[in-house]
Amino acid sequence: MASFVELVLTGITSGLVVGLAALALTLVFGIARFANAATGDMMTVGAYAAVVSMAASGSFTLGVVAGAGAGIVVALLAHLLVFRRLAARAPVTSLLASIGVAFVIRAAIGVAFGHQQKVFGLPVVRPWRIFDVRVQPIDLAVVIAAAATLLVVFLILYATPIGRRMRAVADDRSLARVSGISPDRVMVTMWALAGGVCAVAGVMLGAKTVVSPDMGWDMLLPAFAATILGGIGHPVGAVVAGILLGVVQEIATPFVGFTYKIALAFFVLLLVLLVRPAGLFGHSEGAR
Amino acid sequence: MSVLCVEDLRGGYSEVDILNGVDLALDAGEILTIAGTNGAGKSTLAKAVVGLLPRVCGRVVLDGVDITHMPTERRAQGGIGYVPQVANVFPSLAVFENLEVVEGVRDRKARIAELFALFPALAERKRMRAGSLSGGERQQLAYARALMTRPRVVVLDEPTAALAPALVKDSLARVASLATDGTAVLLIEQRARQALAISHRGAIMDGGRVAMSGAADTLLADERAADLYLGHI
Ligand SMILES: Nc1ncnc2c1ncn2[C@@H]1O[C@H](COP(=O)(O)OP(=O)(O)OP(=O)(O)O)[C@@H](O)[C@H]1O
Ligand SMILES: [Mg+2]
Repeated sequence: MASFVELVLTGITSGLVVGLAALALTLVFGIARFANAATGDMMTVGAYAAVVSMAASGSFTLGVVAGAGAGIVVALLAHLLVFRRLAARAPVTSLLASIGVAFVIRAAIGVAFGHQQKVFGLPVVRPWRIFDVRVQPIDLAVVIAAAATLLVVFLILYATPIGRRMRAVADDRSLARVSGISPDRVMVTMWALAGGVCAVAGVMLGAKTVVSPDMGWDMLLPAFAATILGGIGHPVGAVVAGILLGVVQEIATPFVGFTYKIALAFFVLLLVLLVRPAGLFGHSEGAR
Repeated sequence: MSVLCVEDLRGGYSEVDILNGVDLALDAGEILTIAGTNGAGKSTLAKAVVGLLPRVCGRVVLDGVDITHMPTERRAQGGIGYVPQVANVFPSLAVFENLEVVEGVRDRKARIAELFALFPALAERKRMRAGSLSGGERQQLAYARALMTRPRVVVLDEPTAALAPALVKDSLARVASLATDGTAVLLIEQRARQALAISHRGAIMDGGRVAMSGAADTLLADERAADLYLGHI
């Protein structure tokens, strides 16, 4: 029983990483209307910025903040230099450009930091025991960072004027414009949010595993799966679906083995989409 | 001087012109009904006025200022309210959020209170998602949203199309009282006879241009207009 609970906890922490990445994907998709293939590499940016600043300062909290800052800057640059210029074209143009942006980010990181793995060098601490359940302090730190990020994002989305404008543009861009809302300004805020969220997810992933130039790219497929599972463009759905996939993978690992756990996530995705084509939280088009 | 002037307006969604030279003028407090068959270009004209048509030439003038190429959102803040024919609310936003989200509103709180007083049904449902409203309530919300900025000109694209016949009269009465308060109204309507009955003037569009226009009573009495466009009942 205790080991089952441990598996669920591990699933939640790794699921939160996927969930945050899926949240970033869904924000970009909802407002800029394309699947951002650079999502994973924006995660990598966050992880490297955190590793560097933590090595310099010794503070993990500062690392998270620096990581988020770097993610925001890179996302804004990608928007201003690339995506904004392509906004009037077909969405597939932006998708292809985002693959290019992903390669550029990864290459830049490889050149700057080399291809060998880095680690956060967090002190090794003995796990806590709570009712026989082992809890790793780093997992707790990861969950707290994720929860804080989610709180900030959802407060902005659902309790501020700019968040309301973002949801309005996501609903109907033309109607937003005739309501006096400038989609360009909304877009800047959205990219800052998406970049920050990606970066925190990258820091979490790096803290749990290792930091390497490919770390984020490898997360792209699971993140897409969670985005679709949650219902494309649905922020809450993306996070819930990420956690769900994480937990299912961990619980199933003892049965299907480590190699197949990714495949299992896609099997779950397939099953859910057969029953609910619009995803767990999506509204089917017929309702319009 | 007219609040809204449209001069030799041409344009469309791609290379093909849908509008082939439209001229209109609208005074404060005046209702101008635009009628015409399906595909005549009525909605396209509305989009050109609010700034949603990709390609336009000619002139759109608001209060003496040429706004032909002004960004849509600046026109909205500058005094043009618009209720599109379809997709006229933000379905995933709550009813009150649909109003709060509008930009360019002085004294937003007070304005929302005024509009909720005007539409009690919306006030009762203010926390509901707009997507779950009935057709009539949705139309009211779209109308309230367009009025948030206290616009000088309102463009209504078939506001009664989704309404049950019993609600049509109320809806048109609201439009009439809006004009009484000094707002200029461009009213696109399939129910042309009912719309002309509350209008000062009318224009009938055909093939992307104005085929007939004149005082509302004159058009209502016109045999040719009745034969070709308005029907006899
Ligand atoms: N988004 C669009 N892209 C391309 N062509 C369009 C678009 N919307 C309308 N059209 C075309 O423009 C022409 C005029 O359409 P418009 O919607 O302005 O007519 P309408 O007078 O409003 O008709 P209705 O009474 O059916 O609303 C039609 O031939 C239509 O096919
Ligand atoms: Mg129309």
